[in-house]
Amino acid sequence: MLGEILDDLLTSPSTGPCITTFRHFPPRPAVLVPFPSSLDPRVAEALRARGITELYSHQARAWELVDKGEHVVVVTPTASGKTLCYNLPVLQTLLAQPDARVLYLFPTKALAQDQLAELEELARSLPELRMFTYDGDTPQDARRAVRARANLVLTNPDMLHSGILPHHTKWAVLFQNLRFVVIDELHAYRGVFGSHVANVVRRLKRLCRHYGSNPQFVMASATIANPRELAERLTGESVAEVSENGAPRGDKLFLCYNPPVVNAELGIRAPYLGEAARLAVRFLQARIPTIVFAQSRLATEVLLGAIKGGVADRTGDAGIVRGYRGGYLPGRRRAVEQGLRAGDVLGVVSTNALELGVDIGHLDVAVLAGYPGTIASLWQQAGRAGRRAGSSAAVFVATSAPLDQFMVAHPDYLFGTPPEHARVNPDNPFILVNHLKCGAFELPFGGEERLGELDVRRYLAALEDEGVLHQAGGRWHWASETYPADHISLRTVTSDNFLVIDTTARDERQTKRRQIIAEVDWGSAFATIHPKAIYMVESEPYEVQELHYREDEEKVAYVKRVNVDYFTDAISAKGVWILRRLADREHPAYVAEQGEVLVAEKVVGFKKIKLGTLENVGSGEVELPQQEKQTTSAWITLPEEMLSRMSASREELIDGMRAVAYLLHHLAPIFLLCDIRDLGSWLGDTTPAETGAVATRESAKRRLLSAERFQPTIYLYDAHAGGIGLAERVFDVLPLLLRRGLETLQACPCRWGCPSCVGPVNEVGRRAKVTAAALLGELAR
Amino acid sequence: MSSPAELRGRGSVDELRRIIRRIEASRPARPAPEPVERVVGGELVDTPAGRLVTVRREFPLAHCHGRMALAHALDASPDVLGLIARSEEAPAEARGLLFLDTETTGLAGGTGTYAFLVGVGYVEGDRFVVVQYFMRDFDEEPALLAALEPLLGRASGLVTFNGSGFDLPLLETRFVLARRRWPAVPGHLDLLRAARRVWAARLADCRLLTLEREVLGLVRDDDVPGALIPALYFDFLRSRRAAPLARIFDHNRADVLSLAGLLGWFTRTLVGSDVSAQPWELAGLGRLWERVDRERSAACYRAALEAGLDGAEARWVRLRLALWEKRLARWDVACALWEAVASAGGFDLHPWEELAKYHEHRRRDYVRARDIVCRALGRAEAGGAPAPALDALGRRLGRLERRLATTVAPG
Repeated sequence: MLGEILDDLLTSPSTGPCITTFRHFPPRPAVLVPFPSSLDPRVAEALRARGITELYSHQARAWELVDKGEHVVVVTPTASGKTLCYNLPVLQTLLAQPDARVLYLFPTKALAQDQLAELEELARSLPELRMFTYDGDTPQDARRAVRARANLVLTNPDMLHSGILPHHTKWAVLFQNLRFVVIDELHAYRGVFGSHVANVVRRLKRLCRHYGSNPQFVMASATIANPRELAERLTGESVAEVSENGAPRGDKLFLCYNPPVVNAELGIRAPYLGEAARLAVRFLQARIPTIVFAQSRLATEVLLGAIKGGVADRTGDAGIVRGYRGGYLPGRRRAVEQGLRAGDVLGVVSTNALELGVDIGHLDVAVLAGYPGTIASLWQQAGRAGRRAGSSAAVFVATSAPLDQFMVAHPDYLFGTPPEHARVNPDNPFILVNHLKCGAFELPFGGEERLGELDVRRYLAALEDEGVLHQAGGRWHWASETYPADHISLRTVTSDNFLVIDTTARDERQTKRRQIIAEVDWGSAFATIHPKAIYMVESEPYEVQELHYREDEEKVAYVKRVNVDYFTDAISAKGVWILRRLADREHPAYVAEQGEVLVAEKVVGFKKIKLGTLENVGSGEVELPQQEKQTTSAWITLPEEMLSRMSASREELIDGMRAVAYLLHHLAPIFLLCDIRDLGSWLGDTTPAETGAVATRESAKRRLLSAERFQPTIYLYDAHAGGIGLAERVFDVLPLLLRRGLETLQACPCRWGCPSCVGPVNEVGRRAKVTAAALLGELAR
Repeated sequence: MSSPAELRGRGSVDELRRIIRRIEASRPARPAPEPVERVVGGELVDTPAGRLVTVRREFPLAHCHGRMALAHALDASPDVLGLIARSEEAPAEARGLLFLDTETTGLAGGTGTYAFLVGVGYVEGDRFVVVQYFMRDFDEEPALLAALEPLLGRASGLVTFNGSGFDLPLLETRFVLARRRWPAVPGHLDLLRAARRVWAARLADCRLLTLEREVLGLVRDDDVPGALIPALYFDFLRSRRAAPLARIFDHNRADVLSLAGLLGWFTRTLVGSDVSAQPWELAGLGRLWERVDRERSAACYRAALEAGLDGAEARWVRLRLALWEKRLARWDVACALWEAVASAGGFDLHPWEELAKYHEHRRRDYVRARDIVCRALGRAEAGGAPAPALDALGRRLGRLERRLATTVAPG
């Protein structure tokens, strides 16, 4: 059935031409080795009971390295049996040493629960194992029992940070006897989250030293370019890498689908969401289990609506397709996972939330609606379809964004490039200072003590000056009534989340009740839940009535259920100013610099965009405060003499440079394991006007037009306060990035510019593409 | 206190740098501290882990803390100690008890909260001694723990107020952090738990200060509010001005004495030697006895009613008593209690149902049962009872009507 549909897709005149490339991955047999002789016969027996009689080569290799006492990171694709790589040595150790303790860290509670179920299955015949999850869901009265009984604790970094480390004396036995720390889904610990987690690990190791233990780290990661580097940054240890994969693979087809061009002049393609929905509906109608990945929460909702509609047309049952994303409450997500495993749910539309190893059983097709932003995610998502045997398919549907178009036009890049680098910056001052507070709360800091490798005395002195630390007997003690971990979220640089509350919710007696339908983090709140915004939950639209954001209020958005056929897109004004230059590099045609900047942003209004056709059907204004942050940035200043050599007018140059900024921003994730939203771009100048005055695109342009000294500067900045290491990498790869930009521009078939290269022509102007090409030609020399 | 929010992420790197520069530029020398021990009337005492400010006060056992002589606490018999210790192992005898109260750097708990002042009270010969241990800075904590260790080690039991929830886990954390063994004290009387059973229904709250005023008849002069104590200590750490600390010492000492006073009150009233107990206190004692001795509990309840207990508490006590009488199948007494509750005050479904059930199932007197349900419905409607109560009564009435249609009621 799957084969027939794929055949039809490839050959039919309507879809065939859209498939720009496809790659067939033939089945691959397993590389098996016998159980190592040192394996405890009880563990071997437990494996045999589960039908495992030999190990994959990578499992055996991991065993060897762990046995030698090395810290290890295992890098293999989805469903390659990587959990055994850490479970085997752990089980063996717990059998041999009844007092030993082991800690497992997963990025989410759901993954810990999945893993516990799997472990319990494996350890049925091994009563020595006392495994428990310990997280926010563990009832208070059960916590004492877990602390006393467990020799294997499964938790998440957030719980370790706020529930375990600050109460380490209650866990003294665990810390005294900690043999292994297992970190799964290592690649999830990047950016802000990873920078926090690296500090949580620093705190963990600090306590282990206090209690006299020195645990070995065993980690598993999806495929990224620098797993070993990431593992070493996160643990502060030198780590051995296992990357050969001995697991078998079923037959798999990977298709790239570029939606047809519907307006050649403007370079407009058919909306990718509609195309992705149509493809998904075809598979679902044939009752083929399908997962659809969308690139944003909004896209998830739009796609879900379209697919539910499409499936209901024929089968009359839309309940077999569900949505899944962060922001949904846990109960709802568990129900979807359960439905997928049981087969009651045939299709799911998800954000990258399902990219991680949550157990959702067997799916045959993955539709990737839009490039997930990184090669690493692409393979993770594609890996959701197909397990060890049988045929499966993944279809990547390109959006018109430059990165997507670059990928469909360069299949060699897509299939041949190693995935991106995962970046963390544990020394981000904001993140670091927060963990110094937690660290001091847990154990006073000695005068010469370092955190990781870092000399932190200056920060400790600053915290003493702030009145939260106090020095006595040469050590810094926590001297505040507060419990610092409570105020520090690992998922954001700052910690306030907004609750979204449906004011139209009624209980069965029609009495009003306060129903929380979602949570939104501080950073994206103004853009997504400003007053009058349309906020979607399971493709049902809600309109925001009020947003409470003041320091002294509970952070809440009150919404009501509405019936509308549009969604909203925020319009913001911005400004970027240089605070400190940290590095510069002379290139033949320009000077690149890197340093700290102040970024100010203000949501000033919104556009209403019709669902389906994506027409602009209205707009509105909003009154919200300006948000400011200091962060790190790379920037290029274009020399006046180069600009004067160009034949374009100043206005054309501004349009052209904006086009270049757009392109560079959208292509930068080729080199970084990050989302486009983790970076920001801006065309400003190096002579800041009155600091803090933000400008919309139009007013910024007017200012540049009338500037006495024309020194336009393109900024590519880290979107997270304090920076998480992205700007430094952008600075390093700038020459390559400019070259890729030029290639993308030259390969784009549009005439005037389109969303796939320099941005839509009605926004960047008619001459933007040609000016941008000329500029890039100079810059990439 | 400056807000930790300033360094929480929305502040600026510049601000941080400015602070760091300021500190590196100059760190002013601290003024010579005025000696704490003199301000608070104590002395520096050597411990195996360094010197420590120690304040010692002695009281004759006849000393009255409010209305209660300290000596009464020592009369506590093993069964009274067992009653208050509840599920935990009870101390064997009252003379070896250690009364303990801590002042801490916060209520958050966890490893970053310190007990900077620990007050203990115990009997020494014919005196009640209160000793307070105070760390002038965090590096004196080892001395404080060293001083405390032998006292904990030889006590027959501990008396605290909310010690199970706060003081003891906190001290245990401090001991573990300092790599000291936490001495296992044989028994623990947490007076908060017992106080909740006795007074929660009557008093606005069960804070120690409230109990002191209501039960011991003691009003403190110029007491420092507990919520200010951490800030006062942090101020001292920075400024070294000891004068404001004196009030913390007074507060802590008063807390320790109140522990003895409260235990004295329990001892006297639980064995019935305090005839001044209020009716609602007798009801509370009934609640306390219920878990261990239903007879004594019932006796307290009856005494409370005889002493004139009224209102909602009297209704509650009658229902508890009725339940006890029902178990003993003393139906007349039980029915009289239910009748008393049913006909007094606002509408309460429970006694009506008990009465109806008694007549319907035990006496098989459906006419009487129906009369009761009809009266109940009348009261319920007049009293604006909630719909589920009305429904329950309605269903019961319907069933009785059906039974009456098919059966002939006896007598």
